Amino acid sequence: MGETTSLFADLLFHTLSYWWVMIPTIFLGLIVGGIPGFSAANTIIILMPLTLAMEVETGLIFMVTLYCAARMGAGIPAILVNIPGTAGAAATPLDGYPMTQQGKGQQALAISFVASALGGLITTLIALVSMPWLARVGFYMHSVEMIVVMLFGISLIATIAAKDTLKGLIAGFFGLMIGSIGTDVVYATPRGTFGFLELYDGVPLIPALVGLFAVSEAFLIIEKRSILSESGRAAMVKTSWDATFQGVRLALSRWWHIVWTSIIGLVIGVIPGAGASIASFVAYQQSRTFSKTPELYGTGHPEGLIAPESANNGVTSGTLVPLLVLGIPGGATAAIMLVVMQYNGINFGPSLFEDRPEIGYGMFMAMAVTYVMMMLTIIPLSRYMSRVTTVPTIYLAPMIISFTLVGAFVPREYMFDLYLALAFGVIGYIARKTGYHVAAILIGVILGPLLERYFLLALKKSDGDVMTLFSSNIGNVLWVLLALSIIFPIFLDKRKARKAMMGQ
Amino acid sequence: MTDRRDGEPRQQVGGDLIIPVLAVAFTLYFISTILDSPWTAQVNAFMIGGIVLFLCAIFFVKTALALRSGEATFSFSNTFNGEDWTSGRIGLLATTIAYAVLIEWGGFTLTTFLFLAISMAILNHGKRLGLITLISAAMALSGWALFIWAFDTRFPRGWFEGVMQAVLSNG
Repeated sequence: MGETTSLFADLLFHTLSYWWVMIPTIFLGLIVGGIPGFSAANTIIILMPLTLAMEVETGLIFMVTLYCAARMGAGIPAILVNIPGTAGAAATPLDGYPMTQQGKGQQALAISFVASALGGLITTLIALVSMPWLARVGFYMHSVEMIVVMLFGISLIATIAAKDTLKGLIAGFFGLMIGSIGTDVVYATPRGTFGFLELYDGVPLIPALVGLFAVSEAFLIIEKRSILSESGRAAMVKTSWDATFQGVRLALSRWWHIVWTSIIGLVIGVIPGAGASIASFVAYQQSRTFSKTPELYGTGHPEGLIAPESANNGVTSGTLVPLLVLGIPGGATAAIMLVVMQYNGINFGPSLFEDRPEIGYGMFMAMAVTYVMMMLTIIPLSRYMSRVTTVPTIYLAPMIISFTLVGAFVPREYMFDLYLALAFGVIGYIARKTGYHVAAILIGVILGPLLERYFLLALKKSDGDVMTLFSSNIGNVLWVLLALSIIFPIFLDKRKARKAMMGQ
Repeated sequence: MTDRRDGEPRQQVGGDLIIPVLAVAFTLYFISTILDSPWTAQVNAFMIGGIVLFLCAIFFVKTALALRSGEATFSFSNTFNGEDWTSGRIGLLATTIAYAVLIEWGGFTLTTFLFLAISMAILNHGKRLGLITLISAAMALSGWALFIWAFDTRFPRGWFEGVMQAVLSNG
């Protein structure tokens, strides 16, 4: 025990000595995370020659810091202008943007930063302590279990559609249909591609995200002089440091909410390929299910903002577990870290923590230190970042369109993706004007292909027997939890309505 | 006549039908592409496509009933109206399409500058052109500096990028 404490203390001071790498990287991560199309993975690839030329420890600290900061940065445009920087922040605008419109953008940013940093820090410490057990989660989550996890996220479509269920369901299933575009996973038969080769791999996520959220938002906001409401503009005039402190207090008072939603992110992050988008949707859906005030979700409720932000930072910690223990990257960024580590001759597995503890434990320590540094450096900036919302829409809208459209181009460097983003922008604009939820469409586009892949895997393994969906104990427990999380809110609503009637 | 008999304004459903019509059209097209495919390519599409068609059918029936009872009117004015023109939205759409088409030819920086300047001028009804030019130039140059010069991102390159590369490489 004494040796472990001494090791961690040494690692802590050693990691702190890299502050000159971490602080600039934090700001770089915020920028790249905030621009749709520029994920941490893309940036690390672009800077790969630099990363490979560095000492391995420096390179890994750089990548981990960039990863954490980009995850946090994606929430900034999601809150301020209703444009998620990455798919992992797609659930953030549901309550973040309404807060901004009410003139509480500064407070919303502070809440988001605290939830992200605290959620990430807590899950990093949990992952450090429980790594051997967490690594086994990936072994137990097979295709059947993953189907139920996806359905948790997809059931959010019905939650979002609360006000007009039929329109919400049409939007969600339309999104699932769009998500089915591409070749099937078994025979590579092209489906619904309109003859475009560029769609054989499915609808690329960034153009869909950019179009549905950013481009459509830009076309909408020009109806008014500012994205703030009348009362929001009045609130922004009086804003001071107090709004930041209020946001911090609001987030800290909900510390338990941060803990359990970030653990959702941690568990989902441990599963290779699951991703932050699933974690943020599942966390939001669960947060709403267990809330005493579910009707407030979607109106600027702090817990509706805390849940996705803490969950998507929980994923960053979870991603490191299969990478370091099993050599299986949890996502694109982890895959690039794998390349850098292999280039430097690092072997993965439990022996990494004995032979090279400064690498194994060091990455988690770097993550923990990054989150603490982010709390100290970024939270004070929320006051200045929120000023973006005072920019008149006549200047803001064209800037949003230009930078997000080229952001759609960046991942694959196809002009086709730019045109696709524009097409999604028109669909998103019509959807918003006529009461259909673009978030529901996006959920379908993101989760649809994943659901199909796991569904087909399950059917292939069982030779087409549908009952395989109920063949696993863990899967059956998850089915019961899914059913409860759908029925429970309906039951609570009916009980509330009955009490209200009796009260009258 | 836009009001119901009870004086309440009638719901305009023309625009509401666009997304379901798109969904049905796309689903039928999708199904047409998988009719001769193996079952693995079909199962997901038939399941989801079936639900899409069912939900849209319910929506169409509800809409038809509302139109028949006089509670709704087949109008698109809540979706497309004169405000699209006066607010500059049509102009912004035109410049956006032009931006997407011309960026490959003109390069990122110059096309972005022109797009920003023209779009802002349209939205501001021709006022404050000096400020607009300044903002557009600053944004376009910042984008060049960050994405092309610093990150060497493979954005479309044109005349401006070529000149800057020649200037910077020759000191």
